[in-house]
Amino acid sequence: MSAWKGLLARARSILRPGDAEARLDEEFRFHVETQTEHLIREGVPPAEARRQALLAFGAVEGHREAMRDERGARYLDDLRADVRYALKSIRRHPGFILAATLTLGLGIGVNGIVFGYVNSILFRPVPAHAPGELAALFTRDTRTGATGAVGYDDFVDFRDRSGAFAGLAAMTGTPVNLMVPQGAGNAIGDMVWAEIVTEDFFSVLGTRPAIGRFFTAADAPQGGNPFVVLSYLTWQRRFQGDPQVLGRSVRINGREFVVTGVAPPGFRGMRRLGFWPEVWMPIGMQPIVQPGAPNLLHGRGGGPLLVVGRLRPGADLDGTQVMAAEFARQLEAAYPRSNAHVGVRVLAAAVGFENPSIIKPQILVLSSALGIFGSLIVLAIICANLAVLQLARTASRAREIAIRLSLGCSRGRLARQLFVESLMMSAPGVALGAVMMRLASPLEPYFTPKLAFQVGLAPTADARVMLFTGAIAVAAVMVFGLIPAVRAGRFGLGTHAASALGAGRSDVQRPSRTRSVLVASQLALAVMPLIAASLFVRSLSMADTVNLGFEPRDRVMVSMNVGLQGYDQARGLRFYEEVLRRTRMLPGVVAASFSYPAPFDTNDRAVRLYVEGRANSSDGTVGAQGTFVADDFIPALGLRLQAGRDFTPGDDADAPLAMVVSESLASRLWPGKSPVGQRARYGGASGPEVSVIGVVGDAKFAVIGEVSTTRAYLPLRQRYRDWETLVVHTRDTPASTLAALREVIAGIDPSLPPFGALTMEQAVTNGFFSSRMAVAIASFFGLLALLIASVGLYAVVARSVVERTQEMGVRIALGLTPRGVLAHLMRDGARLGLIGLAFGLAGGLGLARAMAGVLPGVSPADPLTFTVVPAALIVVVAIATFVPARRAARLDAAAALRTE
Amino acid sequence: MSPHRPSEPDPLRGSIDLLVLKALSLEPMHGWGIGARIQQMSRGRLDVNQGSLYPALQRLEHRGDIESAWQTTENNRRARYYTLTARGRRELGHQLEKWKRFTQAISLIVEG
Repeated sequence: MSAWKGLLARARSILRPGDAEARLDEEFRFHVETQTEHLIREGVPPAEARRQALLAFGAVEGHREAMRDERGARYLDDLRADVRYALKSIRRHPGFILAATLTLGLGIGVNGIVFGYVNSILFRPVPAHAPGELAALFTRDTRTGATGAVGYDDFVDFRDRSGAFAGLAAMTGTPVNLMVPQGAGNAIGDMVWAEIVTEDFFSVLGTRPAIGRFFTAADAPQGGNPFVVLSYLTWQRRFQGDPQVLGRSVRINGREFVVTGVAPPGFRGMRRLGFWPEVWMPIGMQPIVQPGAPNLLHGRGGGPLLVVGRLRPGADLDGTQVMAAEFARQLEAAYPRSNAHVGVRVLAAAVGFENPSIIKPQILVLSSALGIFGSLIVLAIICANLAVLQLARTASRAREIAIRLSLGCSRGRLARQLFVESLMMSAPGVALGAVMMRLASPLEPYFTPKLAFQVGLAPTADARVMLFTGAIAVAAVMVFGLIPAVRAGRFGLGTHAASALGAGRSDVQRPSRTRSVLVASQLALAVMPLIAASLFVRSLSMADTVNLGFEPRDRVMVSMNVGLQGYDQARGLRFYEEVLRRTRMLPGVVAASFSYPAPFDTNDRAVRLYVEGRANSSDGTVGAQGTFVADDFIPALGLRLQAGRDFTPGDDADAPLAMVVSESLASRLWPGKSPVGQRARYGGASGPEVSVIGVVGDAKFAVIGEVSTTRAYLPLRQRYRDWETLVVHTRDTPASTLAALREVIAGIDPSLPPFGALTMEQAVTNGFFSSRMAVAIASFFGLLALLIASVGLYAVVARSVVERTQEMGVRIALGLTPRGVLAHLMRDGARLGLIGLAFGLAGGLGLARAMAGVLPGVSPADPLTFTVVPAALIVVVAIATFVPARRAARLDAAAALRTE
Repeated sequence: MSPHRPSEPDPLRGSIDLLVLKALSLEPMHGWGIGARIQQMSRGRLDVNQGSLYPALQRLEHRGDIESAWQTTENNRRARYYTLTARGRRELGHQLEKWKRFTQAISLIVEG
């Protein structure tokens, strides 16, 4: 304790030197006065007493100096001098500071972001009680080793009879229609991702609700427990964080459910990847949550359930695996028909889990390691560049350093000064990195694909991420700061001083091979993402002019899933018909129809068609995209009819099977023939026969990944789907049309939530989202790489300029013009630049070919890209070599020679 | 650069620490009082130089052997009083031990 107090006292006196001095003054004054009084009491006259007291006390200033030294104030004074010196140096080299700040900051920030994602995949525990005790239970085929989900009856036996776990819960994911009452009879709904879980799910996890409580097995019998737990995000977004939400009822798939509680922030169930659940419901309600689906509450030898359990106190994974496997053998013996060869696999679930046969854990680890490795390499290159640059600056100060050494400045002191300088130069970079690291989470929505439900990793800057990034930053600053400091420490006195004064006389004249290779490869690596970014930009600008094949203007769309509401096909078709009838009566509506998928949404369905003699696959069929539409879809979607006719209400189950094909599909299946009236078979040679009744122009339903525009349009009445998108061509405003459409749907089924309402133009914009994101990412990394490479190139040239000062002096003395000096020094840099460019272009061309599939409208050898990128690089190379070389060209021959 | 300063405590430094700790082992005291007490305990033979006393007090405080606080004296003046800490008391024990061994050794040589 007292050692600690001593430390405090010391820290106080160092941190607040003014206070310490003032206290010292008072203490000294007290001493002199007390001594004076003492002497007076002994009979000395007052004036004489004071003189004696002062005399005895000695030179007060002397004491003060001794005590200041004792306090470590000298150290502090030296540090202040170093800081002042560094600040001066920083002011003199703003360009260097800018380069150091940007490259270090981005390097550290990228490391922080990458680790943030890795952390959320590999390390961050689920927000549950003692997550280390959680384990996942999968079935395991004892012949193949493949793991799978579990059936309910097996799960119940494992839970109640195996004794292998302290608790066991099961879950499965599903979309549901959610309607949230807004008062006054209105409701806002959406289709959301849900998890149905066993009633004891939350108590097995030991998760605490943010508000309210979780449902339990004791609440009500299965089937009589219409309770729902909201995710924290859903509570905030759909219920505005209303604390009164508890006890309110919402409609899920048309049935009333009561909100019992809200899950804690960050709780997204036990799945590592996959959709984020918005609501959790008891598994007993599955018949209502998944109407028409097979009953979940029975089944053996595999099933749809993901199972998570808590280990018994003191038990480990291996022991639990042994116990569970033994119990699985008992089940196998008892139920040989369903459970033959069904073993188990117990896995750690502290950070969540996925079926290891679907998502290989090694791949997650490997890709994480690659990400970290890559970002560390980037940072290492940055540090190496900055260290070389700093060395070049140190070398150019070699004369000053040698003089200071011979004047008695200790080497340690000198190294410390350079280290302080590096620290101060890297401080803004570290700060920038810390800011960047925090962007991981807010930026995530821009990087995750837009799917029907939210996905993501939700990286958070938790203690682990802070620690990792902090350690990375410290290591980077040490590497960047210590190399020059150690090198400076090597400048010796005497003979060493002489060689330091004549810096680099015996040094190699060309930049070192390693450094050259490093810089050339940096440039090459910068070229590739720049080419990718440029190609993406070109492709996007082409896409603006490219013919979509449909007319997106004045069109709105809204989706609905009647299957979740429990509609059968007959009721679904009646519902679609009624929606279309009422919609077509709305003012301003030109055309209305259903489509699935709608243009530019993320779903797609393939159909296989068999045509005699046209087969090219093993089963003799040709694949095409399938679109399931209602009558009048051609004007509603704005397609162009080229031959034949549109669907009518007459194309129903009683009529012959009919389809409309796209131009490409027609020429693929019946080249050179008139397609209308041609016949094909669904699925294979023995499938039902379908005839072509119309041909429409090719349309782009997606941007990325769509190479073919071969598409078959099939009538809903013959090929029913319970999830459709209503597409309406209207002369009214999108907002009022969408409001009217919601009323139409609510008028028919008030508990059915319409979702995904937007204009067709918005859908097209969303469709280009991934391309725009790819542009942003490729540009960011391209520019980052270019920045790093140019700093490296600058450093190499600057260093060779310093090393060759004398040589240049001699050459100038022998008649070389400044222009000649410049050319001479820039030649090396230019050579490195061209080598890097050549390799980069070769790599870029390869990359462009590999990306051809996702770059519609642009040739992989796009001439504009392959002109602009090299030109930009040549400009950067020229600047990075010219600036340091110019300094040498300005040399005065006599002064340069004198550096000897 | 600063001139070289000895980093090892010289004998005088060592003994003034011992004297201060000993003087404070009776009761808390201010700087002047410590000097006066050492003088008194040595029956006037030792007059501690203030130039070593105050740095020694600061050193001991930073080491955690003593702590200080501002208090009022009997004649109503503010003075900085130093108190021995538990650590300081142990340190005093060690130093006394060392001192005794040292003086015994010297005596053996000088008187032997």
